[in-house]
Amino acid sequence: MTEDNVEIKDGLKIRKLTELKTSTEEELEEAMLKRVDYFKEQDSKKSGFNSTLQNTFFQTLGSILDVKIAIDKALGEENLEKIHKVIDNVLLFGL
Amino acid sequence: MYHLDGTDILNEPYYRKTSSICPECMKKIDAEIVEEEGEIWMKKTCNQHGEFKDKISSSAKYYKWTHYAEKDDKGNVIWQFEKNGEANPPDCPSDDRGCPYNCGLCDQHLSTCSLALIDLTNRCNFSCNFCYANVEQAGYWIEPSLEDIDRILKHFRNKPIPAPAIMFTGGEPTVRKDFPEICKMAKDNGFKEVIVATNGYGFQRKKGGAEFARKCRELGLDTLYFQFDGINNETYEKTRGIKNLMDYKMRVIENCRKAGFDSIVLVATIATGVTDIEIGNIIQFAIDNIDIVRGITFQPVSLCGRISAEEMQDLRITNADVIKEIEKQTGGKISMETSWYPLTTIVELGRLIAYLSDVEPAEFTCHPDCGFATYLAIDPETHEMVPIMEYLDPLKVINFANQMWEKVKHKEKNPIKFFENFLGDFGKTLDDGVNFLDKQQLRARFLLGVLQYARKPGKLMEMLARMLANGDWENVSSFSYGTLLLSSMHFQDAYNMDVERTKRCIVHFGVAMPDGSVWEAPFCTMNTLHRPRIEKLVAKKVTQKVRDEFDTSVGQARADLQVTTMYNGGSKVKQEEGAKK
Repeated sequence: MTEDNVEIKDGLKIRKLTELKTSTEEELEEAMLKRVDYFKEQDSKKSGFNSTLQNTFFQTLGSILDVKIAIDKALGEENLEKIHKVIDNVLLFGL
Repeated sequence: MYHLDGTDILNEPYYRKTSSICPECMKKIDAEIVEEEGEIWMKKTCNQHGEFKDKISSSAKYYKWTHYAEKDDKGNVIWQFEKNGEANPPDCPSDDRGCPYNCGLCDQHLSTCSLALIDLTNRCNFSCNFCYANVEQAGYWIEPSLEDIDRILKHFRNKPIPAPAIMFTGGEPTVRKDFPEICKMAKDNGFKEVIVATNGYGFQRKKGGAEFARKCRELGLDTLYFQFDGINNETYEKTRGIKNLMDYKMRVIENCRKAGFDSIVLVATIATGVTDIEIGNIIQFAIDNIDIVRGITFQPVSLCGRISAEEMQDLRITNADVIKEIEKQTGGKISMETSWYPLTTIVELGRLIAYLSDVEPAEFTCHPDCGFATYLAIDPETHEMVPIMEYLDPLKVINFANQMWEKVKHKEKNPIKFFENFLGDFGKTLDDGVNFLDKQQLRARFLLGVLQYARKPGKLMEMLARMLANGDWENVSSFSYGTLLLSSMHFQDAYNMDVERTKRCIVHFGVAMPDGSVWEAPFCTMNTLHRPRIEKLVAKKVTQKVRDEFDTSVGQARADLQVTTMYNGGSKVKQEEGAKK
């Protein structure tokens, strides 16, 4: 705890939360990545084919998401809502 | 941001009728929930003891958002936070008293148990003056045997809808020497999540604390629900009457870290002018220890005993007050309007994910007033913890999940049996294959349905996707890894008890009764109405040895304090160390 983000109020130390940053954010991200790797490893133990299939799927999905977010921004809220409604109906069709 | 924004509903004055109890004679009386000057109040009158008034929420707008239903043009409800639960069959016959008196549970209860509680002891190394569970204050000793505990565990697991999680409470559960073995019993009985509500006693001991933590973890303890009032010693002196308690709290964190725990939930009781000032401190502490802290539960203090109306207004703090204070103390980054949702929000989403992931669902079909929550996750771009709502459009995702669950829920109880009907056992194998493929296509639909509402890509999305693709309990629980769950849970007391809440309670105590049965009761009725009567039925006589076990002015066992004294200058310990060499 550094002194510049601490104030004393009624004799108590109070942290000034200007940003919700953690000193361990890099370790945390690394831990999350490791967790994802752990799943990958577990999957490959179960079935090599499934694992390859899934990894390809998730990588493709990641790329599609990037494109999707860019398109969302270009479309504007009103158009996006209409498109979401159509996608919802397609995904729920036949259930 | 509210789903009802733009309608007139949030501008209409709120009103509903319910039942409550008189805080003086505890008799059931009618109550009204009304809106007054932007706040929500409970008003009730006892013929014998007069009028009572208590604040339910300091934000009428927020309260109304969680209570009103949105309807379509035909009048069908398309959105509401009040959910219908599935209840287990009643354990006791119905009688005229009804809820909240006829516990056991009775046929008026509307939810199943998501979190089972067992009081392991009323011994404690602390002597907090507001606590109900304490040998000294009770004058008797409560401590179920291992056989009793096993009976309660089986009671909760053998029901048609078993409880997925168990929490050991007290007193201080870790004062029991057999506590690690009790964790193992819980796992052996099939509980997915084993939790202890603790002030940290067993884990903080200078001699053996780290070893105790390791043993608990090895034998099945998953999570510490860890009493944590703030980061200042002065705060603990006010709440627990003990000086310099932060070192004690830090030893718990360090020993659990060494033991490999990755799930501690900090639990802060919030009282106006005492601990409310620590809210921001606690959030930052959790973020700084994110490798091991998974969540924070803020608990607005429940009020017991007779107090005046003025005292009541000074002390009462509601969930809405806590959420507002969090917004204030985090510079608006975790805001009331955009970040917080009632626990009931995720009922259908939880059921759908559990079904698609082949795990037992945890049903959050409590009342919308019981608790609110938000998730923080790290933003890979800014490295800042942000509410998960910034990753996904929550209302749209939930809406999609609700619609999808409505269409597929019949499959949970009636899987496809097409080939079995005319091919027998061979057909059964074929049906398993068909069901597997069916679930895969449902997972793909759900995943695409959720991801269309993604606001930013990232590892969190990948974790969600992998969880759905490889559903097992480990994957589901590890979803919380690297995220921080903030919740505010307001337990009821005699002043604000709302029978509509009590009927939907999902946190149930189990008590092993002398006749061999197990008595089950919702958390709030146990603590407000039943505890003294039930405890007297199972109490043992308190011995002098039990009375003298702890020095509650420092929170340590007297035996340990003697050893420390000797270590600092005595000869016995030195001799022991010499003998080891």
